[in-house]
Amino acid sequence: MTALARNWPWFLLALAVAATTHLVSIRIIPHLVMARVLDRVGPMDAVRHGRRPDENSRAVVRPSPDLLYSTCPYDLSAGPVRVTAPVPPGTYWSVSAFDADTDNFFVENDRQAADRVDFVIARHAAAARAHGLPVVVSPTNRGLILFRTLIDDEKRLGEIDRVRRQAACGRLKR
Amino acid sequence: MAEAGQRRSWRTQPYGDGEKLPFPGKIAGSLCGGGESGLGMRIVWKAVASGLAGVALGLLATGLVLRGGMPGGVVDGPWQTSLTIGSAGGDALTRAQVALHGLFALNRGETIYYTARRDDGGEALTGDCRYRVSGRDPATRWWSITAYGADDFLIPDPGRHYSVSKNSVTRDAHGRFAATVSAAPAEGDWIRVAHAPFSLTLRLYNPEPGVAADPAHAALPSIEKVACG
Repeated sequence: MTALARNWPWFLLALAVAATTHLVSIRIIPHLVMARVLDRVGPMDAVRHGRRPDENSRAVVRPSPDLLYSTCPYDLSAGPVRVTAPVPPGTYWSVSAFDADTDNFFVENDRQAADRVDFVIARHAAAARAHGLPVVVSPTNRGLILFRTLIDDEKRLGEIDRVRRQAACGRLKR
Repeated sequence: MAEAGQRRSWRTQPYGDGEKLPFPGKIAGSLCGGGESGLGMRIVWKAVASGLAGVALGLLATGLVLRGGMPGGVVDGPWQTSLTIGSAGGDALTRAQVALHGLFALNRGETIYYTARRDDGGEALTGDCRYRVSGRDPATRWWSITAYGADDFLIPDPGRHYSVSKNSVTRDAHGRFAATVSAAPAEGDWIRVAHAPFSLTLRLYNPEPGVAADPAHAALPSIEKVACG
């Protein structure tokens, strides 16, 4: 108790530093996690089709073994990126986008997209409007587009996999 | 020396006793108290030690609050979810939890993710026990129940018994299904776990509007402990 009474300013300082460290670390964790994933999922502005998740799938936590995931990490600092994909028929499918802080700012599923999607992801709506394509505005330069395709029937796995592999993303040509 | 003069001026304050001085006075008091040359160093040392202890304590607190897994708040039987998963509107803690334990989760209009770490009786789920997960199809376009190890990854099984889903389960005449969750092989619908703590994720893809609006009152499967050992 005497040690505490004599050193209370230092205890206060330690507590203030602890509170600040705690709040700052909670805030930057999403950004750190996303930066690590973007470094690990493959080349920028290109789709990578993941194999069906199993116990060796350790790039992203809690994958669903019933979904096929395709990813396109993007970097808009050099310009907008175009995303095209046919929608596999008769099963759940979605395309979603996550910014550099892991926030999900866009999602469209098979029911909303009809038979295919074709859009541009850009920092500013005006940057890509000239191309006449729908524009999805990303809050940050870097982020990730994620395609999910449900394997609703094991017998259809081959067919579903073939269609989902036609998804593509790449730098928008001027 | 000006510095020495300043130190002495502190000494001439009515507070003769350094112990009773307020914070700045205390530092000054200990700076001049006894006039030893090592006192400045002692203060620097104390400041560094306090700072390091603070950083360590802050990181420890962060580690502790993030250990719990996916964010909760909304409770439906043994299942928990949060209304703000997959939305930028989530608070900092929810977003950190999702980034660590459920990265790339979608918003609840698209998918609701429920997590169970305990059975119906409130006991932690462990592969040392056998569980019966049963119920009717939740009100959604598609659903699945998947087991994950404490590391948030799928639990090894060469037969791919990672999950049961709307497409895979067998239902009785009343539309009820019952799956076994255990480390040892089981008849019928079976999710394999290891002899270790695990958790279950219930995914509802394109949930009915009523479920998305009120995820605490969805009719979800029960998780019943059958036997242990």
